[in-house]
Amino acid sequence: MLEVRKVRKTYEDKVAVNDVSFEVPGGEIFALLGPNGAGKTTLIRMITDITRPDSGEILMNGKSLRGASSAQIAYLPEERGLYRKQPVLDVLAYYGELKDLPASESRAQAVALLEEFGLASWAKKKVEQLSKGMQQKLQLCTSLIGDPQLMILDEPFSGLDPVNVALLEEVLDKRRQRGTTVLLSTHQINKVEQLCDRCLMINNGFMVLYGSVKEIRRQHGVHAASVTARRMPASAPGIESIERLSDTLGSERQGEEFRVVLAPMTLPADALRTLVQAGAEIDSFQMAHPPLEQIFVRVANSGTGLDRGRSGGLNVDETESAERALGGVR
Amino acid sequence: MKFSMHRAMIIAKREFLVTIKRKAFLFTLVAMPAYFAFIMTFSASLGEKEVRRQLSKSLTLGVVDSTGLMAGAPTRLEFEMPAENNMLQRPKPGAAPREGRKMSAEVVQFETQAAGEKALLDDQVQQLLVIPPDYLERGGARIIKREASLIGGSTVNRLIQRWMTGALLAGRVESALVERAARPSKAMTEYTYDEDEKRFILQDDTREMITVILPLALAMLLSTAIVTGGQYLLQGVSEEKESRILESLLCTVSTDDLMVGKMVGLGGSGLLLVSVWTAVGGFFGSPILMLAEYPISPLLLVFAILYFLLGYMFYASIMTGIGAITNNMREAQQFAFMFTFANFIPFITMMATLSQPNGGLAVGLSLFPMTASSQMMMRMATGATIPGWQIALSLAILAGSAWIAIAISSRVFRLGLLMYGKTPNLPEILRWMTAKN
Repeated sequence: MLEVRKVRKTYEDKVAVNDVSFEVPGGEIFALLGPNGAGKTTLIRMITDITRPDSGEILMNGKSLRGASSAQIAYLPEERGLYRKQPVLDVLAYYGELKDLPASESRAQAVALLEEFGLASWAKKKVEQLSKGMQQKLQLCTSLIGDPQLMILDEPFSGLDPVNVALLEEVLDKRRQRGTTVLLSTHQINKVEQLCDRCLMINNGFMVLYGSVKEIRRQHGVHAASVTARRMPASAPGIESIERLSDTLGSERQGEEFRVVLAPMTLPADALRTLVQAGAEIDSFQMAHPPLEQIFVRVANSGTGLDRGRSGGLNVDETESAERALGGVR
Repeated sequence: MKFSMHRAMIIAKREFLVTIKRKAFLFTLVAMPAYFAFIMTFSASLGEKEVRRQLSKSLTLGVVDSTGLMAGAPTRLEFEMPAENNMLQRPKPGAAPREGRKMSAEVVQFETQAAGEKALLDDQVQQLLVIPPDYLERGGARIIKREASLIGGSTVNRLIQRWMTGALLAGRVESALVERAARPSKAMTEYTYDEDEKRFILQDDTREMITVILPLALAMLLSTAIVTGGQYLLQGVSEEKESRILESLLCTVSTDDLMVGKMVGLGGSGLLLVSVWTAVGGFFGSPILMLAEYPISPLLLVFAILYFLLGYMFYASIMTGIGAITNNMREAQQFAFMFTFANFIPFITMMATLSQPNGGLAVGLSLFPMTASSQMMMRMATGATIPGWQIALSLAILAGSAWIAIAISSRVFRLGLLMYGKTPNLPEILRWMTAKN
């Protein structure tokens, strides 16, 4: 559906996006990740044809973006605003008309969307009379009107309460089932793990992670296992370290939690066998997959990834900024 | 994204409707002509009333004559207050002029300046004329009064000059000559050649007033229309940038759609404003023009529309660019000020244009794109014959400048709209102007 091929964009002597390539098939929710200033907005602006790449190409359904109809792509930017002095329905219908809908059809779709988002009773009120959360929902409606094939949502959950977050998730799921492709840019990585099939992370304009969320978590696992055991030896062959994570969890039967780091060449099955042979009484043994948040910070900090370190690590300010955005995850 | 006229017209329609429904627009529509009418009526009538008030008071002039030249001068000065000027009750050509009100002033001589000043302070005289001993050789008469008077002062001074002329000549030449020397231009009339009627036509007060007011009014209307439309554009772009509406819009429409749509819609609202003012002005002004037999060529209207369109495109493009590169309305207004000011330069140099419609300054300003519209309209409305090549050159320069301004603004608009934070400096703006993407 969407193909980005070796796209590069520079501003004066700064490379904002460097040889980025990825594909998003129809009906997928795809995450675009990266710390602040990584080049996400530049990339999004190129996909939405607001700016053009210096080199490379962006295709939608196999055709160049320049020929794409405005109705095919919808964009909800992070920094957004609406015509505050105008009635809600008029604003939404205006966006519909700009997406080539006939005036009557645009109004009908606007009414339907307002009903879907619980804003129907506010249709004739001015936008400025809406609460912040309602305005956020109206913004989402302006992206959804016209049934776009590709929706690019930049931090769509910000400003929404849990009820409306659930509503948006439901709406996105419905759209996905109808074949709409969603490109989601967010710092709420738990939402990426929950909603997205695959993701791309860029740092300093370079691609540093790309693939399915599960596969990335597996690839970036620290060759360690999470073990619950009633008895655990201090060491075992093929095991680098054994760390107790918690004190006794209640009764003897429930055991304790350990983090067992395997030696580089040790296979999980061998590790389990040697532990048992060394006297361990194990209740559960599971290879540890770090949450995506940890991978995000680690990759952003070290600058290692698909680009083999060319993107560089974050400086102190950027690291703090990335950690703040992720709620202090290390 | 390619330019789409359909989308540009949707934007234009919205901009037009939203603007004309604004309270500020409706207020400007009604309040501006009312304000001007009030100012003009009030100031004119205030000035005339003040003159009449001053002259209708029993005027007593004190004189201290150290030369003895005024010894035989009359002690009473007769004069006539002119009839009130009413353009709608203009007398027909050949009819007797309306008579004014006969009035008189007393003249009291004092031996010394000190005695005269005391009488002035005691309110026995309203003004004191002091003739120094060497007056004949050097002049240098002094008028002493209790307080300065801006309005009506010159009328009283003219009366004093008349009295002095009479006083100097009294007994030396015959009285008719004295009277004529005191008022040599009494009842003088002026004729000018009319290109349309191929004859010399009497220039009376009303006609003279029209030759001043009409060019001023037309030029003012034109520049107000241009500036109003441009300011709406500046405000619109600036507000949409500040409130971050543009980013989501630009995914759906191209910058060219947005720029053309805004220019058409907001230009339309400016044109509507001026059309209403012109209609109102025409309704009230046409009887005066008909009475004054002051023909207005339909060509003037055609040129007015042409100059509005080109002038608006030029100015509005610049305002669009400014709105795009600045971060908020206050910053935008600071940048826009010098361009807005340039539109009104013809009003500063108006007297030169009215006295010499084909003079160097008038011609130069009508070729300069910033001032061409209002300046040329002013020149045309004076009734002077403007060489065709000047009109053609002025329109060509303005059209070329508008085209260049649109091309440059379009680039600056595209790049500036999504730039937030620091306002670009001149080298950056110049780089944007020449940027390909």
